[in-house]
Amino acid sequence: MLRRAYTIAAKDLNLSVSGGQGLVQAVLLGLLLIFLFSLSKPLGGQITAQAAGAIFWLASAFGLVLVFNDLFAIEEANGARIGILSSPAPVHSVWLGKGVAGLSLLLVSQLVFLPATIAFLGQTIHGPWWLLWATLLGADIGLVVIGALLGALSQGQAARESLLSVIVFPLLLPVLLSGITLFGMCFSPEAAEGTDSWLGLIFAFDCLFAGAGLFLFPFVYSGEE
Amino acid sequence: MKVKILAALAGIALLVHQYMIWFYAPVAQSGPVQKIFYMHLPCSWWSLVSFFVVFVSSLLYLFKREPVYDRVAGAAAELGVLFATLALVTGSVWARAEWGHWWLWDPKLTTALIMWYVYAGYLVLRSTPMGRDRKALVCAVLGIVAFLDVPLVFFAAKLWGSAHPDGLARKGSGMEIRMWQTVFAGLTAFGFMWGAMLLTRAKQLAQHAKLEALLVWDDE
Repeated sequence: MLRRAYTIAAKDLNLSVSGGQGLVQAVLLGLLLIFLFSLSKPLGGQITAQAAGAIFWLASAFGLVLVFNDLFAIEEANGARIGILSSPAPVHSVWLGKGVAGLSLLLVSQLVFLPATIAFLGQTIHGPWWLLWATLLGADIGLVVIGALLGALSQGQAARESLLSVIVFPLLLPVLLSGITLFGMCFSPEAAEGTDSWLGLIFAFDCLFAGAGLFLFPFVYSGEE
Repeated sequence: MKVKILAALAGIALLVHQYMIWFYAPVAQSGPVQKIFYMHLPCSWWSLVSFFVVFVSSLLYLFKREPVYDRVAGAAAELGVLFATLALVTGSVWARAEWGHWWLWDPKLTTALIMWYVYAGYLVLRSTPMGRDRKALVCAVLGIVAFLDVPLVFFAAKLWGSAHPDGLARKGSGMEIRMWQTVFAGLTAFGFMWGAMLLTRAKQLAQHAKLEALLVWDDE
């Protein structure tokens, strides 16, 4: 299963990087959001660390929708989805492959958002670096397990980006709140406190929805329209 | 017949509940505005029950693939959103009168709001043009995922509230026995109403499905 998941992920990454628009759109939209929010900074004033965290994760959430929309849309043409379903690859490996591809693309887009947040929103990373990376990776896993599961919901739909946003954003609230708070701590010069509860929440979210995704994905990824 | 009995019981129980609110339950320290609580709580409680029914029906649909479970899930989600809306509005009015704010970062209020968003999204998904079986399937999946999110949302809102000065945990209520009796009368009355509405809506959806099956599309 893992080898086939790797094949799916490699195929998706290849297509996304060579001809797909999801990553480019995600990066551009995220950058635009960060820049537009920087306009809310009062002249000579500062954007708070928490607000900067919120803007970063908002850009990431929109990026997630665009990335997964693209990852599922590339199989809409020429009956590629039916082809994958007919292949010996188990459906779970499709979910895992999509998740890995989505995580890679999301991380790439966040490598652009993070410096943009620091530059446009006037932030400095004061907090521990391990906390920043642990939050980034943990919260991203939470985002992609939901994205990989629910991205398939809107397959074949005309207005799938808006449909996906409306469905996915409220579900992501626990992991987004955790990401915002922990990034706020990293950007703030004050010592980080209570990080274990928030990291625990991210871990619980990742485990719960990874289990749900494994169980439920075969129901949503099908040949039906 | 069941619907008629439930509706009749709901009518009587709601009248009794209104009597208890205005003439039986004592006026609280904060004044008559506290009486909104007797309608706020049942709305909130039955919205959560509705979301639980969506979850159970969705699981049953995934395993049994019988359309009745999909219809019950759809009807329960509509009722859940309706009751959650009423709970949010009454809660907001009450908060404004009691604490001077329309909105507070209270874990229960925040969870109710997020659940409202989640299930409003679920209703949007139900109304999208899609094959009937596929729609029932994806709605069942979302119905399960949405309910799994409830405890995490509550915990996140509680953690967030504890870190903010405007976070406000409600202290022990210290309610009198007659107040509690009014609360339980409200839960019962709203329960009858909820049951009658759920059955009616599920029946309507069954009729709708039957009519759609009879319809012959003629493009020429």
